[in-house]
Amino acid sequence: MIALSAAAYRYPGGSAIGPIDLTVAPGELVLLTGPTGCGKSTLLRLAAGILQRHGHGHGTGTVTVGGRDPGALVARDRVTMLGFVGQDPDDAVVAGSCAAELAFGMESAGFAPARIGARVAELLARLDLTAVAERSPFALSGGQRQRLVIGAALAAGAGALLLDEPLSQLDPEGARAVMTLLRALADGGVAVLCVEHRLEIAMPFATRTVLMDRGRVVADPLVGSAPLRALGLHGPAIEELRERTGADAWRARHTPLLAVQSMEYAIDTLIHSADVSFAWPRQPRCISDVSLQVRSGERVAVVGANGAGKSTLLGLVSGRLRPSAGRVIRAGRCVEVPQNPDLSLFNETVDAELAYGPEEARLSPAEVRARVAAGAAALSVADLLARPPQALSRGQRLRTAVAAALTCAPRLLVLDEPTSGQDRDQVDRMLAALSANLRGGAVLFASHDLDVVLRHATRVVVLDHGRVVGDGAPLDTLRAAEASGLPLPLPPLAAVCAALRLPYCDPATLAALVEPA
Amino acid sequence: MTDPRARIGVLFCLGVLVLCLDGALPLGVLAAATSLAAMLHPRADGWRLRFFGGVLLLAWSTALSQGLFWAEWPRTPLLVLSRDPSVVLCREGVVHGLVQSLRFVALTAAGLWVALSTAPDRLVVGLLALRVPFGVALMGATALRFVPLVGEELLAVREARARRGRPLWQRGPWAWMKLEVTLLRPVVARALRRARALAESLETRGFHPTAPRAVRDPLRFGWADAFGLALAVGVTSAAALARGAYVLYGAELYYSSGLRPLYAFVRTWM
Repeated sequence: MIALSAAAYRYPGGSAIGPIDLTVAPGELVLLTGPTGCGKSTLLRLAAGILQRHGHGHGTGTVTVGGRDPGALVARDRVTMLGFVGQDPDDAVVAGSCAAELAFGMESAGFAPARIGARVAELLARLDLTAVAERSPFALSGGQRQRLVIGAALAAGAGALLLDEPLSQLDPEGARAVMTLLRALADGGVAVLCVEHRLEIAMPFATRTVLMDRGRVVADPLVGSAPLRALGLHGPAIEELRERTGADAWRARHTPLLAVQSMEYAIDTLIHSADVSFAWPRQPRCISDVSLQVRSGERVAVVGANGAGKSTLLGLVSGRLRPSAGRVIRAGRCVEVPQNPDLSLFNETVDAELAYGPEEARLSPAEVRARVAAGAAALSVADLLARPPQALSRGQRLRTAVAAALTCAPRLLVLDEPTSGQDRDQVDRMLAALSANLRGGAVLFASHDLDVVLRHATRVVVLDHGRVVGDGAPLDTLRAAEASGLPLPLPPLAAVCAALRLPYCDPATLAALVEPA
Repeated sequence: MTDPRARIGVLFCLGVLVLCLDGALPLGVLAAATSLAAMLHPRADGWRLRFFGGVLLLAWSTALSQGLFWAEWPRTPLLVLSRDPSVVLCREGVVHGLVQSLRFVALTAAGLWVALSTAPDRLVVGLLALRVPFGVALMGATALRFVPLVGEELLAVREARARRGRPLWQRGPWAWMKLEVTLLRPVVARALRRARALAESLETRGFHPTAPRAVRDPLRFGWADAFGLALAVGVTSAAALARGAYVLYGAELYYSSGLRPLYAFVRTWM
């Protein structure tokens, strides 16, 4: 049982959460959601006892896990009482092999070697990782690694599990596998508290959802999607459509003009790649004979399961990687914002970061300032210009990196997972701003979020094991990919749109185009 | 050898051995052997040539600088670069530089081989068995694991910069250096974030730097480990004794006519 009673925490800088009352009983899987920066991660660290032991702020109220104060637990009790999984599973890995990773907590708790061995074998089988037991955790796919880290957190028999956005880097199939595992753990008696933005996938598995805003719980349990929408968040789209129309089945209205996405095609081709292949040293090919053209005005989404080769393809297009075979021809400048935008922020302030590209292009000071102002306004970082980029929140860092790329006025902007860790409204604003500001240019982006892909892409390229297996209009291409057995399950709303022969759109727009059947 | 204790023991012996050797030839043989072992390891694929190039560059630059700035006697000119002012490349300086760099290369390559051929968690278990505190052992193994990652991140930052700016050489040396230092900023920030996440992970998984721990897979010291370690200890002890005897003879503290063949061997081959 995880219980917070009037729990509050104030950082030395002044920001605070609470007072919060929240209980997660054994067998419950509780989702905690809210806008970026509302204090979800702080609440999770408070429940794990991390802030009580190492934080410099001030906490009040009561926090208990299994009836005990998590901040006062000795090291070996900690691992048997609660499990904690942070945002990035790569950074949580402490051992060199999967088996050693699972054993670490039990070794800390002083279990007998025979008991550790038996438990490791059992967990490997349950997590479907037996075949990779002695491999490095970094050799696993994103979904496998996330399952490993969850298993490692619970290996010593903890009765409570705290997770911070465990789905943020996973493809839909991997995300469902992780949620299935969490549901099974909850059904086995573990109390699970999970911070998550991807509600479309997570909510069907949850016992209840708790909504936070500005450091407080504003809905527990969350009923309906109206409170989410009020905060700029979105739950399962089908639920929202049901609420908006008051019906479970729909038919299309006879609307003379449907909401057609505006497309601004020009004639010039920005990227032309022919039969491009790529292989890492000592590895088989991860990109095979890919031919791709990106034209001016397009917003091309690259989709595929974890490990399909999306990031590699983006690297080849942007010039970060050199093809092993074939060639890529670029017409104009191409700037890539990598999956981890932190590694592209090297200046002292956001202002200097945005000015770097124009200054390097030797533009006049007036032109530099104009580009900085336009980029900052487009990506909503104008009020952050004086701050160091590395001190910003995750979402702000991503927006800064994209704004810095935008001020270089690239013909092609390449974005690797721009949705990771962002709420939907932020992603919408960012992609809309790019479309408006890249006149004559194009955007190529990789994403696991098929809802974002369907609403923002003008074209979709489907990758499977390094090969292009689909390329065309988003909804048709993704339906064909799903029908061919690829692990790319379409959002439920897509099926409704396809059945009613309507373009994919958000529930609010769709509600105006349909009527109860 | 599979037991990390044996590998760490051999590495320690090698550290002593390179101090006992003072000749460019034996150190060269040792450096070549350890470099070959490191470069032939499958995990060295991808940076073999760079490692080899780095070794050559280090040996050449150290030998050249020592050869140019050698201030002791005797000084045998190898090459007169300038007569006024006098800039001479001295043979003794070149040899001294070569010896220093080969010592470094031999030991670094051996350390690299141990790091490449031992899983980080086995290294931790090995260090624990050698009575190294758990916190220190884990810190060492973790640092080892993250060194290549930090290198990759530094390359990624340089790549991201190159996409947005001019080539590095298109600016003055001072601006170039300043930019190089700036490029470390995101890597340091990322390392700090990673350290925090790792600390949280360790913290919630019962880590305590000094608490006793169980070991899932206890170490097994096989006959190959025993033989390898015994050989390393034997060779190192013999070299240390020989060098010790030679030093005593050189310092006129102890001389035995029966040891003359040993003195000759040390002078010629060590």
